[in-house]
Amino acid sequence: MTAAVLAFALAADPAAGFLNAFCVSCHGEKAQMGNRRFDRPPVDLDAAARRIESGTMPPKAARQPSAAERQAFLAHLAKQGPGHIALRRLNRREYLNTIGDLFGIPMDQFDPTSRFPRDQQYAHMDNIGAALVTSGYLLEQYLEAAEAVIAKVLPENPPPAPRAWLFKDEFRQQKELDGARRANKLTQYMSLFEHPRTPHYEGAYAPLLAFPEGVPYDGFYRVKVQVEALHRSHPYDPKLLGMDPDAPFRFGIVAGNSRAGYLHHEQPIQPLLAETVLEDGGPYWLTFEVRLDAGYQPRFIFPNGMNDVRKVFSRFARQFPELLPEGQRSVAPGIVPGRIAMMKYGRIPQIRIHQVEIYGPVDAPAIPDSRRLIYGNRPFAPERIREIVARFATRAYRRPASGEEIDRLVAIADKRRAAGASPEDALKDALKAALCSPSFLYLSAAQQKDRLDPYALATRLSYFLWSTMPDQELLDHAATGAILTDPVLRTQTRRLLASPRASAFVDGFLDSWLNLRSLGDMPPDREQFGAYYWDDLQASMKTETRMLMRHLLEENKSLHDFLDARYSFLNKPLARLYGMDGAIPSVGGHAFRRVELTDPRRGGLLGHGSILTVSANGIETSPVTRGVWVLENIFGAPPPPPPDDVPALEPDARGAKSVRDLLTKHRDSPACMSCHRSIDPPGFALENFDPIGRWRSQYPNGAPIDSSGQLPTGEKFSDIAGLREAVAARKPEFTRFLTSRLLTYACGRNFGPADRPHLDAVTAALAGKGTGLRDLVELVALSEPFRTN
Amino acid sequence: MPPRDACDMIIAMPTRRPDLPGRRFFLRATGVRFALPVLDSLTANVLGSGLAVSALTAHAATARPMRMVAVGNAFGFYPPQFFPAESGAAYDAPPLLEPIARDHRADISVFSGLDHGVKGGHFAVHSFLSGVRQVDAKGMPDGNISVDQRAAETVGGATRFPSLTLGSEEGLHGGCMMCWTRSGTRVNPIQGPRELFRKLFVSESEAEQARTRDRLTLQGSILDAVNGDANSLKGRLGSSDRRKLEEYFTSVRDVEKVLELRQQWAGIPKPPAPMPEPENRGLVNDIPVLYDLIALALQTDSTRIATLEIAGGFEAAVLGVRKEYHALSHHGQVQQSIDMLVKLERHQTEQFARFLTRLKSIEDGDGSLLDHTMVLFGSGMGNGNAHTNLNLPLVLAGGGFRHGQYHAFPAAGLNRQPLSNLYLSMLQRFGVEQQRFALSTGTLRGI
Repeated sequence: MTAAVLAFALAADPAAGFLNAFCVSCHGEKAQMGNRRFDRPPVDLDAAARRIESGTMPPKAARQPSAAERQAFLAHLAKQGPGHIALRRLNRREYLNTIGDLFGIPMDQFDPTSRFPRDQQYAHMDNIGAALVTSGYLLEQYLEAAEAVIAKVLPENPPPAPRAWLFKDEFRQQKELDGARRANKLTQYMSLFEHPRTPHYEGAYAPLLAFPEGVPYDGFYRVKVQVEALHRSHPYDPKLLGMDPDAPFRFGIVAGNSRAGYLHHEQPIQPLLAETVLEDGGPYWLTFEVRLDAGYQPRFIFPNGMNDVRKVFSRFARQFPELLPEGQRSVAPGIVPGRIAMMKYGRIPQIRIHQVEIYGPVDAPAIPDSRRLIYGNRPFAPERIREIVARFATRAYRRPASGEEIDRLVAIADKRRAAGASPEDALKDALKAALCSPSFLYLSAAQQKDRLDPYALATRLSYFLWSTMPDQELLDHAATGAILTDPVLRTQTRRLLASPRASAFVDGFLDSWLNLRSLGDMPPDREQFGAYYWDDLQASMKTETRMLMRHLLEENKSLHDFLDARYSFLNKPLARLYGMDGAIPSVGGHAFRRVELTDPRRGGLLGHGSILTVSANGIETSPVTRGVWVLENIFGAPPPPPPDDVPALEPDARGAKSVRDLLTKHRDSPACMSCHRSIDPPGFALENFDPIGRWRSQYPNGAPIDSSGQLPTGEKFSDIAGLREAVAARKPEFTRFLTSRLLTYACGRNFGPADRPHLDAVTAALAGKGTGLRDLVELVALSEPFRTN
Repeated sequence: MPPRDACDMIIAMPTRRPDLPGRRFFLRATGVRFALPVLDSLTANVLGSGLAVSALTAHAATARPMRMVAVGNAFGFYPPQFFPAESGAAYDAPPLLEPIARDHRADISVFSGLDHGVKGGHFAVHSFLSGVRQVDAKGMPDGNISVDQRAAETVGGATRFPSLTLGSEEGLHGGCMMCWTRSGTRVNPIQGPRELFRKLFVSESEAEQARTRDRLTLQGSILDAVNGDANSLKGRLGSSDRRKLEEYFTSVRDVEKVLELRQQWAGIPKPPAPMPEPENRGLVNDIPVLYDLIALALQTDSTRIATLEIAGGFEAAVLGVRKEYHALSHHGQVQQSIDMLVKLERHQTEQFARFLTRLKSIEDGDGSLLDHTMVLFGSGMGNGNAHTNLNLPLVLAGGGFRHGQYHAFPAAGLNRQPLSNLYLSMLQRFGVEQQRFALSTGTLRGI
């Protein structure tokens, strides 16, 4: 440790004096008790503050700071810490939503942010000002994105006349399938075998390879397709196919773009444009109307298709030779002969596509909405530049643009015209500048008498509940100043929450609180957890958790249902995962419905597949990892990081020692015990759930699972149901923690020790009303910290 | 492109342009020296694949510049088959090290006992080249800047690309995420050989160049305007928010530098392509092509710094292994899984060895390109099965260091050296005048 670093980190900081006086003798160069040291960066000031605030540190035997010293230290941290950065930029999802609303364009096939760096997070929160860094690289991407956006919203050409494209008689698919299709002279149709998340994409997407250029213009297109649903009943083992034979085939259309990579593979942008259920048989015609951006084409998918057709071609050919014509019953080994034989004579479930007709753009307005939003109802004229710029900047900046700001933008247009640009191109360049201005990129934190000014408050409310710019009604209330009053702020909060756009809040908050956005970052092993892929469990798991929160909001139900709800929202695949197959029929089974839970092993977040998957690593579970997850995200009490001198637990699947054995040994050491007595018990209780949340009573190597434990507070439990009861007994703690998470998300800043009175005020107000989640969200929006910086 | 004389071209730069405000960045040197590649002999085999094309040789009258390459993977290397048993020069190379040590023993150093002392499993892998986790960056004087980006700061406009970061957005937690700027943002990687090839060798048409220059001019004007907006905004902010807004001002200045460099380079033709444009064929197949392109980028002095992340998109199936890479890294001591894992890892060390051979075969001044390129190979993951980020697998090659040894450094105790010490040694060798990097305690002893 060089003196220079120390000096840098501590000299300028008055908190260092306190740390040096009371902490460093045990957490410094000589000793690092609890694996903490406060004499060199990085110093975990939050941890220090928590202990100082709760009075658990310094220990009783040590020299104590006076009450005044304690207060001064905490107050200083609260002021200096990241908590008090109110200025924050848009994160990536807010930027996307905002561009969509600013220009009135759908963003499902247009992503100008694809090269933005990932937003940095603070405790999983993706909207904390202090963590949302602006870099030169990001600013460059803003410049590039502005170019792309303006080119998109003010297209050079008017819409073309509608036309038709017809595809039939000869279809190409990917190379592997085409060999077998050509050998059998079966290229007059395309075959879909697999669901869209398969490992090899062999008939997982049916694109129009003869249409690489895609449609010519953003708009609606009529897609007529002649389909045939074949072999839903088949002689093969359904387990090998990974399909539910009782469920009718589903058929969907996703967008695809030949410039984004192979059309028969999953692509980064591929919104689902339409989906329906097929009657068996055919061929028959279906008609859809779908919206496509220029350059995109419709691709057809089989959402509940089989998992990996390549694996079974040869296997089935050998298993059922009697299905093949005489003389062709001995199929040579290898994938190719099997594929050729099965393509013609097999009875593998499939959807065939015989003809496709595309017509459009249908009913394209002569002036796109985006142009109307920028120019108003009059056409562009050079003398309108200032007026157009002023109006645009006012919308983009979410408050009236100042004269200076407008001057700077007009100056760009003038400069460009002087350099030879056409007046309209010059205007476009000025609009690009507005999209790179800090007035657009940062949410206003402007104050008026120590409180947010009306526009800043309207903006904060809108980004809290909709993750996008305020709509006209909010801006109107900002213009009159009425948004500052309790009744209007409350009414607006209710209006925003009741809107379908509040799903941005549900999704954004759950991603931030429970880290659901990381679901899938550690993909479960395909061999062990095939259902995760063929049943599309990742999407279903998120939906379950989101529907629970939406339900609590809509019905103003108790936020404690997060801990111990006796119901959940499931579809057939999730019910199957949970061992509740019978709860939902196969027909229509992919739709979600409320299911009452009778099994004590499920109920509340700790039984959700989403939580159990995101707290494992896709391969195996660890009671330590899951235990830490529960402490962090349910109890709100993250343990300190493990000390340096303890060897990590090295998983050993050969069966010699169970995780519990290893941990028991680990806990012999008092240093380890102090944290592991909190961490391990909830982790053990969750060991009955495998890495994707399926119930198990033994480990893959056959060792039995012991899920009993005792919380440090004394409650003993024998399994997850017991743990849930123990957790439910700590409801006030949970309420307080959830409130702090909501305040953090709503204000876009970290809540430190100095915010304690704010937290008390909100929880006290809630106590007067009950425990309704919607009440809590409203109280957060009306709270002091939400209305100040 | 017409052949050019093999002499350096001096691009005269005004020290100040009258229409630009003083806060703009200028290359302080009176001139910037661009070593232009020339078509030289037609005999060399540029690609290891045997494709005979005209060789590119970067000529310069001055001493050869130092280069830096760093390669990292996400899951580490199975330790018992990576680290030799005996330290010193006469070590027996275990299977994973063997491909590298076989032909390059005298040009490499192998290390054990080095790490950053961080924890966090996959997330701590991100600190491989920085020594500082993203969450800890705030407390550090230089944030979590990575060693390649620190070196790139000193290259400035001397090459078309201050650095090249190759990798992928895919993979666990965003993949390796090795390269970080001073402001704490990840350098987004170039994805795949095709994009890299186009950056290095495909020049724009004259009409495109004119459009590019026009766009750069526009972007310059936009920066002036938004800087004005930021100044107005600043007046309405409190002190901590003002500090936050500094990031924006710094960004404006950084982009101004970038635009400046692009303007300079826009008119200078890129070196002719020595190979046809490659296809992206998945990371396993792309690795040799990426290595070849890195060698070409260094040889043509298009850049002096390159990094390669081996993470997302590494399909085990391409190597005939039927289980997933991440699953295998959690082998749970099952021998069958370990064998498959080692097969995937050995492919990586073999390709790395091939890269070193390639660098050694290219003449560069009075030695080979390897003599003037320090190449780091390793991972921020120490033991994938246990998820620890300690005792990282590391090989350093080339760059004129004293090589030939396996250094088994103590992992704990008074004589422990942090991995940052190696990075400090590398930076000083690169020519960065700095006495500290991350939590370094000095330069690394023994090399």
